[in-house]
Parts: sequence; structure tokens; C-alpha cells
Amino acid sequence: MKSIRLTAKAVPLAAALLGALVGACAEHIPPRALVDARAEFARAKSGITIQLDPTDVHEADLALQRAESAWNDSPDEPITIDLAILAQRKAQIAEAEAASLKAQQDADEAKRALTTAMSSQLQAARGQLDQTKQALNKTQEQLQAEQKAAAEQSQKLADLEAKLKDARDTIAKIAAVKDDDRGMVITLQGEVLFQTNKWDLKAGAMAKLDQIADALRGKEQPMIVYGYTDNVGTRDYNMDLSQKRASSVRDYLVSKGIPQDLITAQGKGPDGPVSDNTSLEGRAANRRVEIVVQPKKS
Amino acid sequence: MRIRIVTTALLSTLAAACGSSLPPPNDEWAQAQADLGRAEAGGAPSVPDAKLHLQLAAEDLQKSKDLMGQDNRRAESVIALARVEAQLALSLAKASQARQAADLAQQDLQKLKGTGGTP
Repeated sequence: MKSIRLTAKAVPLAAALLGALVGACAEHIPPRALVDARAEFARAKSGITIQLDPTDVHEADLALQRAESAWNDSPDEPITIDLAILAQRKAQIAEAEAASLKAQQDADEAKRALTTAMSSQLQAARGQLDQTKQALNKTQEQLQAEQKAAAEQSQKLADLEAKLKDARDTIAKIAAVKDDDRGMVITLQGEVLFQTNKWDLKAGAMAKLDQIADALRGKEQPMIVYGYTDNVGTRDYNMDLSQKRASSVRDYLVSKGIPQDLITAQGKGPDGPVSDNTSLEGRAANRRVEIVVQPKKS
Repeated sequence: MRIRIVTTALLSTLAAACGSSLPPPNDEWAQAQADLGRAEAGGAPSVPDAKLHLQLAAEDLQKSKDLMGQDNRRAESVIALARVEAQLALSLAKASQARQAADLAQQDLQKLKGTGGTP
């Protein structure tokens, strides 16, 4: 009987206590730390963190579950707040680790690109170097060829000079030889070559010209045969006579093997006297033929 | 009378469960100390975010020391918090260093490309 009364008393009391508890739970707002932990975990789960560092995200998940459980079981315990903070930190660790991994990936990518770019620049530089080497080799070959050609040319010139000296020595025995700005000038007196007012070569003249032709043959140097007269007679006559005499000498030298295209004839008449026309000797000196051997054009 | 006795017994059991009966978490404390040292060696003091969590770790460690002997259960909880703060400090320092290295690599690349710009 007593126990029934007790029970009758206890039931409303228990109901009241239960009601108070339920009411208290409903009023309980989750602590700030737990709200922050939930938000942090949501961030970690939605971004690149879950892709790059799923292990730490999983740990954060477990930590959050523990915090939630503690909050359900004993919301007023200080340890509940500790667990919520711990869960938030775990999510933050996951995010920081993922950021590290992402930075490493970026660095690796940049380094790969750097290696590729350096390698391509190196290749380009090598290509340029090869081209430069080739160009240098070519230039050296050209230089050697030019040096060889110059040496040959120099040798040829020396040979030519030697031959010319020989020729000059030969000619000097039979005619006056001098050098002026036109080249080597061989002067033959008119009396030696022609009779007065004639342009046919004397027999003795031919012998001299033979020697000159022998000496000049093969030199391949351009020559001009100039004919000169004194100032006796008309200018036209003298011009004509000097041209004919120059041509006679030219034709004879050509007949003796001097190449036709290397030798020309020009009558100067009384122009360019070498002596005074007032005296007999002077006029004799002016009547002359000059064979000008021009320096060889290189 | 019987109800009072039962209530007293229950409260005593609860108090015991609260931690005073647990041994002091000395090993955990040493581990937390080691975590803190790792974070310091890992460069956390020179990264502002990391430095903040390093300070929190140190404070938690001190707090746990004060709790030890009185409430060993809470002390253990606070030590766990100190450890996670120190680990976060180290992670943040590493992330900052990795980002700096990535930026430098990117700058090198830009320099080589001749733009001279930063990403």
C-alpha cells in the first residue's frame, strides 16, 4: 500500500523532471566552438582539401563526430568544448596540409615548365652555336682559299716582274726604255724604223721589233703604240703619218705573236714632243714611236 | 532515507568518473611538449597564423599542467588540444613555406620567359 502511494507520488515527479530536462535540451544552443567546427569541416569537405588530403579530412570527421556526441551526451562539460575546438583544428590541419600539397604541385609544375623552357633555350643556343661554328669554318675555308689565291697571285706577279725585268733588259739593248705613269715606255727613233715620209718598216727595224716582240710575248699586258712626228708639215699630214706608222708597228708586233686585242695604235702627230723642234737633233728626237706597256690589270 | 543513500553513492561515483581517480597524463604531456618543439623547429614562430596556434598550444600546455592532479580527465583533454594546436601550427608553417617555394619557382619561370612578371 505504501509502495503504491509512493509510486503515485513518484510518477508526477518523474514526469516533471523529464519535462524539465527535455525543455532544457531544446533550449540548448550549440556552443560557438561546435558551430565553427561544423563550418570548418564543411569547408574542408567541399573544396580541394578532400581531393588532396582525404586522410586528414577523415580524421576531422571522426573528431567532429566525437564532439557532436559529447555535445549530445553532456553539453555542459568543458571537455565538450575542448572536443569541438579539437575538431575544428583537425579540419584546419587538413586544409593546411592540402594547401601544402597544392603548393608543391604548383612548384613541381613550374619546375617542370622551367626545365622544359631551359632545355628548349639550351637547344636553341646549341643550334645557334652550331650555325656560328659552321659559318666560322666556312669563313676560315674562304680565308684559306683567299690566302692561297693571294699567295699564288703574289707569286704570279713576282714571276711576271721577273719576266718583265728580263724583257726590259733585252729591250734596253736595242731601244730606250723608261718608266712613267703610263707604264714601261719603249722609244724607237723614227729614222731607225722608217724612211722619211714613209710608214713601211725598214728591214733593220723588223729585226729590232722581232726582239721586242720576243721579249713581250706572253706577258699578257695591254700595249699602246704611239706614233709621233716633228712639227714640220701640216698637222693633218703629221697626224695621218704618225697614225700609219703606229699601225705599222702594231701590225708587225701582232704578226709576231702579240695578241691583237691587247695592242692598239694611236697617231699623236706633233703633240707630246720630247725635245725642241727648232734644232735638227730636237726634231729627230721628236720623230719616234713609243710602245707603252701598261701595267697588267688585276 | 534509502533514497538519500543511493543519491550520495551515485554522486561519489560520478565524481570519481570525472577524472580525479585517473592517473596524471604525464606521457601525453611529454608528447605535446615534443609536438610544440617540432612546430617551433618547423618554422612556426616566423609565420603569423602558425605563431598564433603555437601560442595557443603553449597556453593549453600550461593550463593542463595546472589541472593535473586535480582533474586528470580534463587535463588529458586540454593536452590533446595543445597537441592539435601545435600540429596545426606546424602544418600552417609548412604550407606557407611550400607556397613561397612555389611562388619562387613561378618567378624563375617568368624570368626565364623574359616577362619578368609574377604569377
